[in-house]
Amino acid sequence: MGSSRQRGFVLIAMSITMLLLLAVMGMAFDLGRIYIARNEAQIFTDAAAMTAASKLDGTAAGIERARDAVKRLPMRWNLGTQEFTGVIIEFGHDIEFGHPGSQGDPVKWDRDPKDPAQVTMARVTAPANSVDITFLRAVGGPNAFTVPASSTASSNPVRVTE
Amino acid sequence: MSRTLPIKRSERGHAMLELAISASVMVTCLVGTFQFGYTFYVYNQLVTAVGNGGRYAAMRTWHGTSGGGTSDQDVELGNRAIRNMVVYGDPEPGPDAVPVVVKLKPEQVEVRWVMSDKSDAKGDAKGAPAAVNVSIRDYTVDAVFKTFTFTGRPAVEFPFVGQFAASQQKPAEQKPAEPKP
Repeated sequence: MGSSRQRGFVLIAMSITMLLLLAVMGMAFDLGRIYIARNEAQIFTDAAAMTAASKLDGTAAGIERARDAVKRLPMRWNLGTQEFTGVIIEFGHDIEFGHPGSQGDPVKWDRDPKDPAQVTMARVTAPANSVDITFLRAVGGPNAFTVPASSTASSNPVRVTE
Repeated sequence: MSRTLPIKRSERGHAMLELAISASVMVTCLVGTFQFGYTFYVYNQLVTAVGNGGRYAAMRTWHGTSGGGTSDQDVELGNRAIRNMVVYGDPEPGPDAVPVVVKLKPEQVEVRWVMSDKSDAKGDAKGAPAAVNVSIRDYTVDAVFKTFTFTGRPAVEFPFVGQFAASQQKPAEQKPAEPKP
């Protein structure tokens, strides 16, 4: 009688400990992967926005080149194994400072700008980086966690030769 | 007395067995957690370092000839600064500089320039740098119980947006590129 009661206690203690252990493992493993994915996605969008902005030259062909260059970027995520999917490239016109009333105007972003001559900025968003959760799922976490990233860059029309 | 003794002994055996089983599971879990947690931490540091190095490379002034290969002395000097930027967060590190992750050396950072193969409307002449690719080559994370080796990752590619300054000491027929103002 006494021994069976004690065995039950060990079982309960073990299950509670295992649950806590799973939570700690989840913190280390899943959160580690999420932070890496977020970092990778942010650096990708930084590079992609700069790439897109560097191709802009006020023509429709320049916008096409910007899209093409972002598509050909070799950067990957999820520990460098997966390609970025669903990448959104938007174009906009820089805010003109110094014009009265223009400071508060938000930039109008357009995936397919009507007037390429006005385009001076590019914004790249990587919205679909979904990290599969391994351990935190067992203690009430979600099945997957998405870490989107977005960056904006403006083209610099001045190139100087020394 | 003579009755209770064998029961106590068997209970002690149970406790030992339970401890042995549960401890082996726990220790395995903790070792695994440490292994992956530490490796992920190091990988995250590498991602950040390579990203910073790539951004630095993209904004640097390019010193080299138009169409110059990697044998170009000025290009090699620039690449060394980029490698130091990745490893130490400083293009010219002091003698007591500490690398971002343990035992990372500048030789383990690969810098590859992508040269433009045609002149485009932006005024980048043929042979001018178009992009720079920075990656880690053969870095091994020592997570005590297991080692992980990263080859070719993390890697970044940034467009070259810096200024272009051709070397002066090259012969005249290798004319430096003249981007439109």
